[in-house]
Amino acid sequence: MNYRIFFRSAFFILYTLLTGVVYCQAQDQGSVEQFRTTLDRYCVTCHNETLKTAGLMLDQANLHDLSEAPQIWERVITKLSLRAMPPVGMPRPDESFYESFTSYLKSRLNALAADNPNPGRTVIAHRLNRTEYTNAVRDLMGVEIDGVARLPADNSGGFDNLGELLSMSLVLMEKYMSTARDVSRMAIGDTTVQADSIQYTIDPKRLQHERMTEDLPFGSRGGIAVRHHFPLDGEYELNIRLLKTAATSFVIGLAEPDRLDVRVDGQRIKLFTIGGDNVGLGVNDTILATDLADLRQSEYEYKADEKLRVRFPMKAGTHTVQVTYLEQSFATEGHFTPPSYEYYNDSLGDPSTRHFAKQSVSSITVNGPYNARGVGKTDSHEKIFVCGPSSPAEQEPCARRILSNLARLAYRRPVDDSDINPLIDLYRQGHRATGSFEPGIRKAIEGMLTSPGFLFRIELDPEDAEPGSVYPVSDLEMASRLSFFLWSSLPDDELLTLAEQGKLNQTAVLGQQVKRMLKDKRSASLVDNFAEQWLLLRNLPQTDKSSDVFPKFDVNLRQDLYQEVKLFVGSIFNENRSILDLLRADYSFLNERLARHYGVKDVIGNRFRRVALPEDQRGLLARGGIMAITSYPNRNSTVLRGKWVLDNLLASPPPPPPDDIPPLEAVQAPPGETLTLRERMEIHPANPTCAVCHNQMDPIGFGLENYDAIGKWRTEEEGKPINASGRLPSGVEFEGPAELQVALLKDPEIFVSAFTQKLLTYALGRPVEYYDMPAVREIVAGASRNDFRFSTIVSGIVDSIPFQMRRAEP
Amino acid sequence: MIIFKKSIPRRTFLRGLGASVALPMLDAMIPALARPGDVKMPLRVGYIYTANGIIRERFQPATAGSNYEMTDILKPWEPYRDQLLVLSNLNNGNDKVNGHVGGCTTYLTGVAPNKSLSDARAGISVDQVIARKFAEETPLGSLQLCIENAAERAGQAEDGYSAAYTNTVCWGGPTTPLPMEARPREVFERLFGDAGTDPAARQARIHDQKSILDFVKEEAKRYKKKLGAADSAKLSEFTDTLRDVELGLQKAEEKVDMELPDMKRPMGIPEHEDHIRLMYDLMLLAFQTDMTRVGVFMLAREFSEQVYTQLGHQDPYHPLTHHRGDPVRKRQAGEIDMYHAKLFGEFLAKMKATKEADGSSLLDNSILVYGAGMGDGDIHSKWNVPIAVLGGGRGTLKGGRHIVYKEGTLLTDLHVAILNKAGIPTESFGEDSGRSNGELDLSRPA
Repeated sequence: MNYRIFFRSAFFILYTLLTGVVYCQAQDQGSVEQFRTTLDRYCVTCHNETLKTAGLMLDQANLHDLSEAPQIWERVITKLSLRAMPPVGMPRPDESFYESFTSYLKSRLNALAADNPNPGRTVIAHRLNRTEYTNAVRDLMGVEIDGVARLPADNSGGFDNLGELLSMSLVLMEKYMSTARDVSRMAIGDTTVQADSIQYTIDPKRLQHERMTEDLPFGSRGGIAVRHHFPLDGEYELNIRLLKTAATSFVIGLAEPDRLDVRVDGQRIKLFTIGGDNVGLGVNDTILATDLADLRQSEYEYKADEKLRVRFPMKAGTHTVQVTYLEQSFATEGHFTPPSYEYYNDSLGDPSTRHFAKQSVSSITVNGPYNARGVGKTDSHEKIFVCGPSSPAEQEPCARRILSNLARLAYRRPVDDSDINPLIDLYRQGHRATGSFEPGIRKAIEGMLTSPGFLFRIELDPEDAEPGSVYPVSDLEMASRLSFFLWSSLPDDELLTLAEQGKLNQTAVLGQQVKRMLKDKRSASLVDNFAEQWLLLRNLPQTDKSSDVFPKFDVNLRQDLYQEVKLFVGSIFNENRSILDLLRADYSFLNERLARHYGVKDVIGNRFRRVALPEDQRGLLARGGIMAITSYPNRNSTVLRGKWVLDNLLASPPPPPPDDIPPLEAVQAPPGETLTLRERMEIHPANPTCAVCHNQMDPIGFGLENYDAIGKWRTEEEGKPINASGRLPSGVEFEGPAELQVALLKDPEIFVSAFTQKLLTYALGRPVEYYDMPAVREIVAGASRNDFRFSTIVSGIVDSIPFQMRRAEP
Repeated sequence: MIIFKKSIPRRTFLRGLGASVALPMLDAMIPALARPGDVKMPLRVGYIYTANGIIRERFQPATAGSNYEMTDILKPWEPYRDQLLVLSNLNNGNDKVNGHVGGCTTYLTGVAPNKSLSDARAGISVDQVIARKFAEETPLGSLQLCIENAAERAGQAEDGYSAAYTNTVCWGGPTTPLPMEARPREVFERLFGDAGTDPAARQARIHDQKSILDFVKEEAKRYKKKLGAADSAKLSEFTDTLRDVELGLQKAEEKVDMELPDMKRPMGIPEHEDHIRLMYDLMLLAFQTDMTRVGVFMLAREFSEQVYTQLGHQDPYHPLTHHRGDPVRKRQAGEIDMYHAKLFGEFLAKMKATKEADGSSLLDNSILVYGAGMGDGDIHSKWNVPIAVLGGGRGTLKGGRHIVYKEGTLLTDLHVAILNKAGIPTESFGEDSGRSNGELDLSRPA
């Protein structure tokens, strides 16, 4: 047993002894008999071999030897910890039974797991998903690609990094080949590249009244900033198109001159002035006007953006292209009422409104290169060319050095001739075809990026492993497990070197690496990749609301709500706060638009900043972004919200609805009245088929009734005061979101366990199973000694049996 | 190799599309030596899938036989009545399985989904069986098109089923749900590559690809050896895929001299209606240039939250189909069905107008199956699903009828019939073959 595993097992046994209720054999008999009696009285009525309710049979299950069916008992623990069973309304055992029975089950199952650890089995060949691939080429060669645009989406089972679901297809293979080709060209440069034309568009529904991103200068308004790859040193042309009216294609906002600022990496390359040139009698509504002067005006308004083109020299590499308006106003930035798309755009049909509207950018197109002068010297070159041959004789040895260096990082392990020789063959082909060195390297890189060694994370059983036995993963495998967990990317040189030196199994070294990796900016993937999927936040950009009911919910608000949740979660991860703060923190990040949305005063301007919030507005459940994705376009949904809480915060997903959903009994409102959503939803419990699950979901959702479908606070619906009284599956009642939050955290370990299960799923790239639950409890218990700080959960996962070990093929 | 009569003038279609866009007649694609009757044109097979069921009574005619009265939804296809078969009483798998997930999974596979978040499992879909056969002669086996890039959504697992099920209707094998593509530019590049339309550049590109492919094949072999006896389904999948890439490259090389229309690559994703039109256009273009003979198009995915604002709707598609008998909601759900049918009708018009070398139309040489995975989206039933078959099937289909089959007839029997027409002798398809009555008779008098 290696040192790392020994240490953690010893710790675990100690932990079990200290915290578990220790049942000695004699006590055991008596309490087990009592448990059996209680189970028979309260549970077996439904959960028996005849009725098989929820597929759970407790009448025959052996309470003395839990190893016979641990999966049953883990389910029982989940339900009883939540006090979700027996269902509300049925007779319940004493609170003391819940306590003593679950601790009995937990301590027994923990002990069984300690004696006989089952780390589960990750797939042998785990394909990098789209995000990991994109990050890997960035870290390997400094090449930034838009993975979403280039590669097909990966299948998701809650997370999109589950090894079993990451399959191959013809389309994907074709994409891997074409992307490898493009990436190798972006990295090395290709003098034969043809001029291309790449367009970036701005969502026309996004209002350009303010500074759009942190990548644009202060005092700017509207426009766009993009990271664009310039393939060669040469000349490029930028074409800008302005927003036009949909029906008549007139440029909007030409009444006053506006200044359009074009920069690359912050350096101005052109300042256009556009608008304010009245050439006709007035503004036209149609290009079919008969008056000559008006025709001129029409033509001007029609073609005003055609002159917006600029040619400029640029060095090869990825640069930030910025196109934005200079703010005309002298007022402090952001002194405005954030406008909303609905008020604005509905009136654009009117010619004078159109004329005085804010001029906006619709798209920018980068064309080129023209008059290319060579591949230049880019950051990618720095990373790749660890040597440069000064004579033909040096070329191949240098190629070998370059490719060995890259392949080690790309394949995440030491490489030998069997890895490098095939790459050298490709190098020779590329060299032969062109007569020069770089195209040879380029071709070899193209191959490297399509090799299974790069595309798959491979974990192999040791040759001497007994079938079904359990073994610690190798240091090299551990390096990849760590980097794909914390960075969604490859191990870097430091991590890989430690693994190669065989030091990664030392607890201190491992801990120090986890610390370093969490500090590294690549760990932003824990928010961008893990949290976004855990919270279903990725659904927000496609969430639309009925513009009649929620006119304020436009693209700008949606984007800000999205940003808010990410900043909020990011602050808890990065500042290593307690993850309980996810539900209770007394702050969030707001700008003026969001402050108005939440009814918070004195936040001016569109920059996000930390703002203290009142009790009713705290935590994830008060975030508009979360409330919006758990609502329908025209109304909020107690069901979706209750389900979201059960799935993501309590790890106790309700069973799926039956396929033959019986129609809701038509509920007639008294004459002259309309029913609130709550009143309509209260039909569910009346129907026993619905009641089983809706009794769990709906009452949680009721507690969030004060938030409408876009998360705005409200006190009445349909003219009636909001009734936000609700109930957790345990029967604990609460009134409104602040009390719901307290109730959810009453036993904080339930939420922390749910969070841990999600993060562990993501870390392992496989679903968490019943045999992982002892490890989850150990991680939670470890974190509880440190106020459930984020990093204690991360290191708990890293130290856990399923992360450290693997089961050999049975 | 095919010799062409003349080159095609520069055209810039597929750009800035709108209602007025029509594809040019690519008569240059007609082999120079061809005279009507000389060449037997190939069969094309298309499956058009609409999610969330179709309002059955507005789709299926009241009476069987040839004198049936056109229903609301079928109306836009009236001009092609003699090449239209409406098929009733076909069952799409087991009603016990989740309606949406089961509906779309079983639709082309005949296999019920395996209930799992991580282990998506069904069976090869009928289009892919045909694609494998037809791929012997075309660069691409098949095209998978969709509108909603639903896979972009996180955690779209439904009712304990992986999102893989509802993201597609096409399966390359029991564990290989195939990605559907919503981006026109991606489809275009799959068809015609990114090297432009110049034959020399295309040839050079193919040569390059082949050398990389040879490398990857050797690497795959090396890793397989490394893994030894360990069973790695994932790496085998990888190797299988390489074989398909190779096949495609060979076909592309054979066609490298084919003159292609000088086209602009479509940019971005247009508004919903134009998006649907553009995807149909790309399917037509693929059939017309014989880049592939199999196309599948998902107009919407199950659970679609698309709001059809162009129809004046405010509620999304999926909730509307759960109308619970509410007349307004039910009407609106029907409006979506009629709208989909109208756009399909436009596609049929173009298929009819596109002439092939022997003077027949593309529609004459096609079998297009239009339908949904549920017979009633409101109650998730999968019996009597709405199905229509359009096209002449190269003389193998006898249209102009509404056929009402014996109750309990399997949808898979239609797949069997089409497989046989596609030259793939088959007796049954899917997991329920025990209940199969064999090939569905598409020429039987009603």
